[in-house]
Amino acid sequence: MFYRLSGVHHANYVSDSRIFKVPADRNLAIFIFLFGLAAPFLLPSLYLNSYMLPWLIWTAAALGLNLVTGWAGQLHLGYAAVMAVGAYSAIHAARFGVPWEFALIIGGLASSVIGSLFAFAALRVKGLYLALTTLAMQFVMDWVLTHSPAISGGSHASLQSPTLALLGQDITSDTGYYYVAFGWCVLVTIFMLNLKRTGLGRALVAVREKDFAAAILGVNSFYYKILAFAASSFIAGVSGALLVATFFFLAAPEQFSVAVSIQVLAMVIVGGLGSIIGSYLGVALILLVPGLVNGIVAGGSQSLGMQINVETLAHIPNAVYGALIVIILLIEPLGLGKLYGNIRDYLMVWPFDQLRK
Amino acid sequence: MTNRQTETGTSDGAILECRGIERRFGGIVAVTGVDMVIRPQEIFGLVGPNGSGKTTLTNAITGFYPPNVGSIRLAGKDITGTAPHKVAKLGVARTFQNLALFNGMSVLDNILLGRHIHMNPGVFRTAFYWWAAKNEEIENRKIVEEVIEFLQLESIRNELVDGLPIGLKKRVELARALVAEPQMLILDEPMAGMNQEEKGYMSRFILDARAERGVSVLLIEHHMDVIIGICDRMLALNYGEMIASGIPKEVVKDPRVIEAYVGGSHG
Repeated sequence: MFYRLSGVHHANYVSDSRIFKVPADRNLAIFIFLFGLAAPFLLPSLYLNSYMLPWLIWTAAALGLNLVTGWAGQLHLGYAAVMAVGAYSAIHAARFGVPWEFALIIGGLASSVIGSLFAFAALRVKGLYLALTTLAMQFVMDWVLTHSPAISGGSHASLQSPTLALLGQDITSDTGYYYVAFGWCVLVTIFMLNLKRTGLGRALVAVREKDFAAAILGVNSFYYKILAFAASSFIAGVSGALLVATFFFLAAPEQFSVAVSIQVLAMVIVGGLGSIIGSYLGVALILLVPGLVNGIVAGGSQSLGMQINVETLAHIPNAVYGALIVIILLIEPLGLGKLYGNIRDYLMVWPFDQLRK
Repeated sequence: MTNRQTETGTSDGAILECRGIERRFGGIVAVTGVDMVIRPQEIFGLVGPNGSGKTTLTNAITGFYPPNVGSIRLAGKDITGTAPHKVAKLGVARTFQNLALFNGMSVLDNILLGRHIHMNPGVFRTAFYWWAAKNEEIENRKIVEEVIEFLQLESIRNELVDGLPIGLKKRVELARALVAEPQMLILDEPMAGMNQEEKGYMSRFILDARAERGVSVLLIEHHMDVIIGICDRMLALNYGEMIASGIPKEVVKDPRVIEAYVGGSHG
C-alpha cells in the first residue's frame, strides 16, 4: 500500500542511484518539502517560530552529529561545545562587520578546526573512553567560554547577535527567520542523502564496522575519522550560529552546556543512528513532546476540573517524555527511523506478506 | 628442498618477493626465515598445519604485522612495514579467513567499497554529487557490475550481506577484492567450509580471474586437491619455518610435508 516496487524498473545506473528509488518515497519527500515551503502561510507565527524553526535547526545539528556518531561510529559528547564555537565565532565576525554569509562560514570553519581536535582524541581511544574524552573537552570549552570575557563577555553575560542579513537583505521577520532555518536544514539533508550513495558514506561505514577490513580496501581510517569530525563540526558550527541569529538572538554559554550535548545525542539515538528521517523524528520527540504533553496535561486537568499543583504539572511532562524514550528504545533499539522503516517495509509488500506466513 | 635454488634465482620480474621474513609475538616466533617469490600471473599455494604461520605471513605482507626481520618487495618496490591502506593502494587485495565483509551493507555497497582506491571521495564531492561525484560513481558501478556478472552475484546484488550463506559471502569477498584490480590477490582459505561443488566453482573463479584479469594469486588452503589442481607452485610451512617448496605434485610427496600434515610414523 502506498509504497510499491512493482512497475519500478531501473534501466540504467543513473536511475538506480537516485536518492529515492521508490516513487512513494519521492512523493513523500516532495510533499514534505512543499509543506515546509508553505508553512509560513499555513501556520500561525507562534507555531512557526517556537516549534518549526527550532525543530529545523536542531535537526540540521542532529544530522551533523549523526554523521560522526551514526556513520563514522564515533561517540561524541561534546557536540554542544562545537556548536558554541561556531555560534561565538560567527557572531563576533558579524559584529566586526563581516557580512553574515561569510560570518556563518567562518563560524563553521572555526568549529571544524576545534572539532578536528576532538578527532585526534578519537584516533587514540574508542567507545566509552572516547565518550569520556569528548565530555572532558566539553567541560574545557565551557570553562573557556565562561572565563574569557573576550569571547562571551564574562560568566553571566550574553552576547547580542547583530541583525541577520543575507544576500543584501536584512532579515527581521518571523517568516524570514523561518526560511533561513528551512534552507539550512534542506542543505544539510541533501548532503546527508548524498552521503548514502557516495564513496565517502561507504568509507565511513567501513571505518565504523571493521577498521581492519577498511584498511585492506585502502580506506585510511585516520583520515576518514578526521574528515567525519571536521564535516560534522562544520554543520554544528553553522547550526549553532543560526540558532543564535534566528532563535535566541543572544549568545550565552549555558545555551551550549553539557546538558545540550547530551540532549542532541539523545535526539540522534532516539531517532536512530544512521537514519536521516530518524533525526527529524528524534528531534521532534525530544524538542516538541514535552510542550505537547504539558499542554495535554494542563488542558486535561482543567476540563476534568482537577486541581494539580504547579510542581506536579512541571514534572509530569518530563516523566512522560522520559518514559517515551525508554519505551521507544525497548521496542526498537534503532530508534524512530527504524520504526518508520518497519512500517514502510510492511506496507511495501502488503497485503502479499500474508501469503508467506 | 630441491627447488629452492631455482626459486631464489628467479626473483627478477617477480610480483611479490619475501626475503628472510621473521615475525615474533613476544617470545613466540610465528614465522622465521621464510623466502617466497611469486611470479606474475602465477597461482602460488601456501599450506601448513594450523598455527604454522600462513596467516602471519599474509599479515606481514599486507602490513598488519610488519616483519621484525626481512624484506618484502611488490613488483620491485620495497613495501616492508607499509601501512595496510597504503599496501592496498599499491595493488594488493586480500580476503580473510573469517570473512571481513560489512554486514550492515548491501552486497553492492560492499563490492563498491573495493573500488575505493580508484575513487576519490570527499566532503565537497558528496555535497555537489550531481556535478562532482555522479560520473565517478557510475563509472565505478559499471566495473563493479562486470565483476558481479563474472562471479554470478546478480540475484543478490541488493541484499544485505548479513543473511547470506557462507559460500556466497566468500564469493562476495572475492568480488570485492577483484574489483580493486589488484596486481596481487591474497586469498586466505577461500574454500574453508565448502562442499566439493562449491570448491569447484571457487577454483574455476580463481583460474578465470587469472586468465581474464591477469592477477597473481597467493592461495592459502588446506584442501590439497585444490592446491594440486590449480597452483603452479607452492610453499609448505610448519612451526613458522619453510619445509618444502616447488611444484605441488612433488611437494606433497615430501616426507616432511606428509609428517607435518598426517603426523609421524604411525606404522
